[in-house]
Amino acid sequence: MLRGQQVTKRFGGLTALNRVDFAIEPGQIVGLIGPNGSGKTTLFNVITGFYRPEEGRILFDGHDITGARPHIVARMGIGRTFQIVQPFQNMTALENVEIGVLYGQGLSHGSESQARAQELLDLVGLGHQRHTPVRNFTLAEKKRLEIARALSVRPRLLLLDEVFAGLNPGEVKQAIELIFHIRRELGLTLLIVEHVLGALRDTCERVIVLNYGQKIAEGPPEEVFNHPEVIAAYLGSNETH
Amino acid sequence: MLVGLAILLVLALLPLARPSTYFLGFMLILFMYAALASSWNILGGFTGYLSFGHAAFFGLGAYTTALLLFYLKWSPFWTMPLGGLVAAVFAALVGYPCLRLRGPYFSLVTLILTLAVSIIILNAPWTKGAFGMFLPFPPVDIFTNHVIFYEVMLALMVLAALVARQIERSKLGMGLAAIRENEDVAQTLGVNVTWLKMEVFLISAFLTGMIGGIYSYYISYLHPSFVFDTLISINIVLMALFGGRLTWLGPLLGASILSVVNEILTLQVEAQLARIVFGLLLIGVIIFLPDGIMAAAAPFIRRLLGQSRRRLRPSSG
Ligand SMILES: Nc1ncnc2c1ncn2[C@@H]1O[C@H](COP(=O)(O)OP(=O)(O)OP(=O)(O)O)[C@@H](O)[C@H]1O
Ligand SMILES: [Mg+2]
Repeated sequence: MLRGQQVTKRFGGLTALNRVDFAIEPGQIVGLIGPNGSGKTTLFNVITGFYRPEEGRILFDGHDITGARPHIVARMGIGRTFQIVQPFQNMTALENVEIGVLYGQGLSHGSESQARAQELLDLVGLGHQRHTPVRNFTLAEKKRLEIARALSVRPRLLLLDEVFAGLNPGEVKQAIELIFHIRRELGLTLLIVEHVLGALRDTCERVIVLNYGQKIAEGPPEEVFNHPEVIAAYLGSNETH
Repeated sequence: MLVGLAILLVLALLPLARPSTYFLGFMLILFMYAALASSWNILGGFTGYLSFGHAAFFGLGAYTTALLLFYLKWSPFWTMPLGGLVAAVFAALVGYPCLRLRGPYFSLVTLILTLAVSIIILNAPWTKGAFGMFLPFPPVDIFTNHVIFYEVMLALMVLAALVARQIERSKLGMGLAAIRENEDVAQTLGVNVTWLKMEVFLISAFLTGMIGGIYSYYISYLHPSFVFDTLISINIVLMALFGGRLTWLGPLLGASILSVVNEILTLQVEAQLARIVFGLLLIGVIIFLPDGIMAAAAPFIRRLLGQSRRRLRPSSG
């Protein structure tokens, strides 16, 4: 479904991604981990068209989307969340989600578009808060909204950037349940960036590990988490499980 | 809605009461600024791209109709859309590079563009450059003259306000609001931000050029320093911000109030002092009421309307 070939992205002298190869098959849940600054968000930005890689290609369902503009990538069926939640503060929850329904799915503004936005809010458990101005939401609610909004373009592939960060253990558990629920309902393929390794252990079938922009390991979570190079990378950056 | 129509009717019929030409002159400039602020707001208010260069569109429109009148004797009353067109073509040329800049960089570049256009017009051979152009008057007496321009400016104000209102409530308006909130997120939701910004930049420029196109006929003597005046750009921005840039009504309100305040200050106080008082007032509003007086007054207005016109509650006006 999504393939990256030799993807390289540099910022001046810094190589944020170094010849990264990856492949995600339809229906999979894949984790993307790595210490701070290892290039996870940069990879998301390359996939979604915010950055054009200096080398390599990104293929989505066989189409070359390298350097395609973000709104095109979104309309093709890739939804994403942002590491730092960025709701449209001055809009209601419903309006936040309706934007993607209008522009991602190409509907015109009306009862149909609002109904679709409402469905997504219901799906993430915010249905009753549709008219609440988003600035009054808690962090956990903002993260749910962020997911609903990513779904509003009707993606087939969903990229989640640290959706569990900042949540307490109970909320993390709920968020994981939500993601499984969504996946069942919508039949999505998922690529999840995470820092909290525990959260991925129970969620992903396969994990890709980045370190200094290079892919250093890939495989089932248990295997990868015991990989010496991965342990070294995490110890070296003072990360704990 | 009904209140709006009633106000409009009164304004349109006002010349029947034979007010002074001074009063008509004051009102028509008020209408002009309300129209300009509304046009500006479609870009600046709805997307958050604060243009400080709308005088460029205004001036281009003014010179377009003036030249057509001067050389071809074509009346600005029907060539004013051409003024809008020239402004829009200019916007199309500069829009793509300009609209890639965000925040203060965009504002700065639009400001500089006005100066550049002004210098070109000043040095072009057929615009009479620094001498300025004397235009023929419409062949009517001074009172009728003022009535005509009064009605035309009123119509332009209504046009600009209707366009703004239409956009605000449409899919386009929601896309623009998403851009204003967060352009990157808007893109990931499928919003073609480049195209949407361009679209409203052109609409805004067109309306502004058209208004300029009629203004030149009204003042009948055209000089680059009159129409490519940065003060015009700044006035437009301040009026829209003062009134409130989130809704179509804000700029109308801002332009009306500030025009009246400015006139009173200029008449009652000394002009220089008036400008200082005016400036301080604006700074205060921008610091304490960032969303304009509309936002501050909204709860009050809602209560007022809710009590007196409860039956009109749906289709919020
Ligand atoms: N726009 C940018 N300009 C310059 N350098 C950047 C830019 N974006 C990212 N970088 C650098 O690229 C490297 C990878 O950053 P990235 O944000 O992808 O890391 P990450 O794996 O997402 O880290 P974290 O876990 O902290 O979110 C870092 O060294 C970062 O400083
Ligand atoms: Mg990151």
